[in-house]
Amino acid sequence: MSEKPRVLIIDDAGLTRAYYRDILERAGYQVEEALNGVEAMEKLLQSEVDFMIVDVNMPQMDGISFLKTLRRQALPLGSTPAVVASTEAEGHDIAAARAAGANHYLVKPLREDVLLQYAALLSGRPA
Amino acid sequence: MSDPIPATEDEFRRLCEFLYRRTGMIFTEVKRYYVERRMFERMLATGAGSFASYFARLRSDVNGEIEQFINTLTVNETYFYREDHQLQCMTSDLLRERLRVKRAGEPIRIWSVPCSTGEEPYSIAIWLLENWPEVDQHNIEIVGSDIDTRVMEAAQEGYFGKRSLMRLSPALIAKYFVDLGDERWRILDELRQSVRFTPANLVEPGGTGLHGQFDIVFCRNVLIYFDEASRRTAAENLFENLSSGGFLCLGHSESMSRISPLFDVCRYSDAIVYQRPLGATHV
Repeated sequence: MSEKPRVLIIDDAGLTRAYYRDILERAGYQVEEALNGVEAMEKLLQSEVDFMIVDVNMPQMDGISFLKTLRRQALPLGSTPAVVASTEAEGHDIAAARAAGANHYLVKPLREDVLLQYAALLSGRPA
Repeated sequence: MSDPIPATEDEFRRLCEFLYRRTGMIFTEVKRYYVERRMFERMLATGAGSFASYFARLRSDVNGEIEQFINTLTVNETYFYREDHQLQCMTSDLLRERLRVKRAGEPIRIWSVPCSTGEEPYSIAIWLLENWPEVDQHNIEIVGSDIDTRVMEAAQEGYFGKRSLMRLSPALIAKYFVDLGDERWRILDELRQSVRFTPANLVEPGGTGLHGQFDIVFCRNVLIYFDEASRRTAAENLFENLSSGGFLCLGHSESMSRISPLFDVCRYSDAIVYQRPLGATHV
């Protein structure tokens, strides 16, 4: 049996992390959490993950700055796939996330099936 | 071990006056047996041989005796999803009303006071996860407060017995709790981390200002323990702790209209709640 895919949830809202964690754990993912970009970088430098769910508006280091920093790291860390999940749905928000290195951009709230679909896509698991 | 000598009527009255000044709770002659039993427990625990020596200890707050005594006196009867029609009202109406007047990205703050051993604030968290599809769209801050620091520590630890969980379905228990056996459960760490606990005394004038303002406050089944003056102080504190347009949920047998004219009454399909009028300041 293969190991569980590892996902890092980066979001400052505790209930949001609890919500995503519950969905992902039940679907067989191993979940790590970080409250902002700084904490996420620290965690990733210690141990890499298969993909990340990244919020945009966070204290200390927001999701966009975090992605820019991450994408400058050596491979394979620098290429860790990322879904940006944000409440903003404007074209310039999406463009900023893409430019910073987001693989996908989803507008919150995320439905369970959508979250799992993208998780499967980024971890290379059958959906 | 035999009980210490009962307090005289005059002694009991002095004790009650002291408790009233410190907590706002009224203990009349009817509650005498109950208060005396709790006092005997504390006399035994502290080695005080008489009422006079215990009362001196209490008044000078030796080793935090006031808090210890209050902790033994407060009733902590609660369970998950108690009066869940109010939780329903929160997700069907109150949150939507609040979001209409909030700036984008501003956190939604919910206060459970008194929170006792945590059943209420954790119920709010579980209810939101289960019943509010927008839960990940907002930064929700849930704060639990109580005058009784002992129960708040228990709330933070998050261990619960069968009685606390009696209203939850087996599916919800399996989803949000770890079964420890022997009819004990522990709530998941991520839920423990999603609620913050801080002490608060509702009847200390201006004593809850540090907690800031909330969008929704659950203050259920505690005002019934207060006398009129303490109720009014509590109502004023609650008013100050609500954002303009914020909502207050009381227990089903409680009515704010009889306590204070500060609030508007709002009737929703699931519950009657009280609102700090939009733009109103306390005079």
